[in-house]
Amino acid sequence: MARPVRPLPVFLNLLRIRFPVGAIASIAHRVAGVLLFLALPPLALGLDASLRSEAGFEAMRDLLSSPWRALVGLILVWAAAHHLLAGIRHLLMDVGIGGGLAQARASARAVLVVAVLLALVFAAGWLT
Amino acid sequence: MKLSIYRFNPETGEPPRMQDYDVAPAAGDKKLLDLLMRLRTADDSLSFRRSCREGICGSDAMNINGRNGLACLTALEGLKEPVVLRPLPGFPVIRDLIVDMTQFFAHYHSIKPWLIAEEPPPERERVQTPDERERLNGLYECILCACCSAFCPSYWWNPDKFIGPAGLLQAYRFIADSRDVATAERLDFLDDVYRLYRCRTIMNCTEVCPKGLSPSHAIERIRIALLKRSS
Ligand code: HEM
Ligand code: SF4
Ligand code: SF4
Ligand code: FES
Repeated sequence: MARPVRPLPVFLNLLRIRFPVGAIASIAHRVAGVLLFLALPPLALGLDASLRSEAGFEAMRDLLSSPWRALVGLILVWAAAHHLLAGIRHLLMDVGIGGGLAQARASARAVLVVAVLLALVFAAGWLT
Repeated sequence: MKLSIYRFNPETGEPPRMQDYDVAPAAGDKKLLDLLMRLRTADDSLSFRRSCREGICGSDAMNINGRNGLACLTALEGLKEPVVLRPLPGFPVIRDLIVDMTQFFAHYHSIKPWLIAEEPPPERERVQTPDERERLNGLYECILCACCSAFCPSYWWNPDKFIGPAGLLQAYRFIADSRDVATAERLDFLDDVYRLYRCRTIMNCTEVCPKGLSPSHAIERIRIALLKRSS
């Protein structure tokens, strides 16, 4: 049979695929890792500025009391919590703990929920 | 029952489209494949693979309502309507639900899926203890349907270099075999950032395997075997 000249289509529309909870925890781990990576330089610069002089400290404090801080803080705390928890889950699975499907589903769900809860608790504490 | 099915005809040059069908299951229709066969009597242009109709040949794997599975093992009862059928994700589509499995089988062949045993062969069979035989359970049942590899994000992004869950499960099937003498060579071949280590333990493979196997567990065993060897 002669092959068509055109390249064959490929179905890979991620919005049309029903992902298991483990896949969602996994993609969130990557997103969180990238967010942490992006956040590190500004956080380090901010820390440096706040330690350099009193004026720098004041400037940083003002910056952190802007209304955006809750949102940015929420996202970063979520990213740190999710990445840490999912990372620990990965490391445990790598040494053979929790690799069964039922346990892996349960731990993925737990990581997703606990990271969001931690972020909310932290944001609530920060705002009050 | 309402269905929405991915259609692609390479001869027309038109892009793939979804086609709606409405077909009443007859009394004996229990599985999705029964309904597809019925559908094809009305529209004989609809193309899909099937052979054994009982989960042995592995040919009717497809994406059913967003999850990969075998049409012949998917019960009609409880299926959400419209039943959306698409070809296996990430595989080139030849026509409708038929995909090109060339690369998938090339990965399978790359792991040398045969017993490499001591020569010369014994008078009778190569014997195993019940324990040694037990280790092949959960591995030898694989029917190479590709549901797992076609649901693995790592395989979607690196189908040329990552062996994928099906090939790796098969690789472990021979590593675990007490009669096989090529374990060291097999591990050497797998010890590669792409072939084995593209797996991120997402476990999509185990989620969809219609035979209830766990490729992610086989991959974990390969990793542990490599780790033990290097220490
Ligand atoms: C600010 C600190 C960190 C940054 C910027 C960071 C960033 C990243 C990035 C970008 C990835 C790649 C994502 C992927 O391949 O899916 C990653 C993977 C990973 N991270 Fe982190 N990470 C940090 C801290 C941590 C910590 C504290 C842990 C320990 C619990 C951890 C555990 C892991 C693991 C296990 C992986 C591999 C995931 C996989 O195999 O898919 N990370 N990290
Ligand atoms: S492991 Fe399961 S899903 Fe993968 S090819 Fe084998 S039978 Fe199919
Ligand atoms: S566990 Fe590994 S092989 Fe299985 S779907 Fe995930 S990445 Fe792919
Ligand atoms: S037709 Fe053989 S596995 Fe479904």
